[in-house]
Amino acid sequence: MVENPYLPLEARVEKIIDETPNIKTFVLKVGRKIKFETGQFVQLTIPGIGEAPFTPSSSPSQTEKIELTVMKAGLLTGKLHETKEGGIVGIRGPYGRGYPFQDFYNKEILILGGGVGMAPLRSLLLTLLENVDKFKRIVLCYGARTPEDIVYKYAFPEWQKKRKLEILRSVDKATPEWNETEGLVTVLLDKMEMDLRNSVAVVCGPPIMMKFGTLKLIDLGYRPENIYLSMEKNMSCGLGKCGHCALGKYYVCKDGPVFRYDLIKDVADIWL
Amino acid sequence: MKMKFFISRVDWEKFLEQILKTYRIYAPQEVAGDLAYQVLAPENVNKTIYGTYRAVQPLKTFFSLPQEKVTEITPQPDKTIILGVKNCDLKALSVMDKIFLEGEFVDPFYGMRRDKTLIIASDCYQPKDTCFCALLDNNPFPEGGFDINLSPVDNGFLLEVGSSKGEGFIAPLREDLKEATSDLIEKREKKRKEAKEKVVEINREFKTQKSFPSLVKEEYASPEWEEAAKTCVECGACTNICPSCYCFLLVDTKDVGKFPKVKFWDSCQYTGFARVAAGINPRAKLYERLRNRYLCKYEYRPENFGIVACTGCGRCVEACQGKIDKREVIKKLEERSGET
Repeated sequence: MVENPYLPLEARVEKIIDETPNIKTFVLKVGRKIKFETGQFVQLTIPGIGEAPFTPSSSPSQTEKIELTVMKAGLLTGKLHETKEGGIVGIRGPYGRGYPFQDFYNKEILILGGGVGMAPLRSLLLTLLENVDKFKRIVLCYGARTPEDIVYKYAFPEWQKKRKLEILRSVDKATPEWNETEGLVTVLLDKMEMDLRNSVAVVCGPPIMMKFGTLKLIDLGYRPENIYLSMEKNMSCGLGKCGHCALGKYYVCKDGPVFRYDLIKDVADIWL
Repeated sequence: MKMKFFISRVDWEKFLEQILKTYRIYAPQEVAGDLAYQVLAPENVNKTIYGTYRAVQPLKTFFSLPQEKVTEITPQPDKTIILGVKNCDLKALSVMDKIFLEGEFVDPFYGMRRDKTLIIASDCYQPKDTCFCALLDNNPFPEGGFDINLSPVDNGFLLEVGSSKGEGFIAPLREDLKEATSDLIEKREKKRKEAKEKVVEINREFKTQKSFPSLVKEEYASPEWEEAAKTCVECGACTNICPSCYCFLLVDTKDVGKFPKVKFWDSCQYTGFARVAAGINPRAKLYERLRNRYLCKYEYRPENFGIVACTGCGRCVEACQGKIDKREVIKKLEERSGET
């Protein structure tokens, strides 16, 4: 019998974590173990409503359950936010190419994240921390609109204690209680001294932040081949066939979602 | 060297009649002044037109259905023969095959139909005024990708076997087949040469100095794209009728069954095709979408597969509600080169 790549597996919503007013993390138990690589994505179906791609925010080493952190942005994500614990959704995947973290061994890794873009980066961060001795240094620069919009607030205190990991955070609009940086996430890059000859940068966030974050990294002296981007495109099949996620000659679902910047920098309008 | 034989039209049609019970056969026949694939039955076997231009329907319709439920594996399709397939469609099918049968995932629905289908191609001696295969260095006669090819000559066909599937298929015919003489082969070559000259002649006014692919690539910023898009009404006819346009959309339905999904043909010409969450649209303007179709055919797929995905079948030229002629657009790209 041929495997039907269009048919999702049943998954049960085990737990829902409120991250911010419009972002929730869904802990899913899938009928069959889903083995994914950090940065790969899955397709989530809400029966009768639709399907959309999400990169798990959990570590691939946690095989019993996968976690998806989702911002309410449209019809499908709206419905997902209304789902209760115990609800049933569909999962297909994993698909695409994730973070080639083995290529980061013995290097300094700069992670630049914005808003809900922290979701795949959390999966990466957890993976890096599980193998922390293999890396020289990990720096996380994370920005959100307001302190309230920061995801994984509960996880940061623990991360801050981790060896070899440095964390800088910014918010576009501070509150009186906020005692970290105020401003766009790119200002954090000025506060960090990285060994450019031996460093890679990983960027994920809203399109505008991806653009200015990447350009800033180039300004700072990063070479395009050392910058890894998570590209967001409209996706339908996830299988490299339907054509929706085209990025020049690439399909984001099979050639990405993680791309080295040098491979896509000449594609017209990549930031849109 | 491919095996070449001669079979008379009478013998060939007799054979077709015999296999009608085993195969569902589609063949190009005259319908409302054009050519369309018709299901063969004993009464219309002899009405098939072999040696002219391609049928109205693109070949892909037999393998990638316009609409199909994909969350249930459907019963095995009938054994099918598509008769009279032209080279433009064979080349386009090679693009479809790359998409649906290669890569990490195989589309089981496409694969199943493809497996059950035998392709009997034929030469095109009479191109249409919208045909432009020669502008893309393609020939109006099949060179590969078929199981059997039939070149009409004398009162029959020069029959060429293109695959082991084709070889098995003609086994029962062996008694009626004569080895093709060099005289016959020469006759066919002459017809082929004349056919190609006809396509060149039809397209004299559209001939460009540079190749279509290089013009589309180099003239990315040309003002001609906006000009060309002025009469586009985003109907999607060009992508639907194109034999190599494969894009589709999965739609979740309220139908019975687990996670019911239907796959529909989609079109990159539609406004929302590439739109992402929160409404950002990488190809918000109509001309950007029109240009994308050209880039897909002449730049991106060649980079992926080494095949120019436009094969010059000319169907989009006929189908366009806005009278956009691809050949004219590309000719103007060259004429306006340097303008910004």
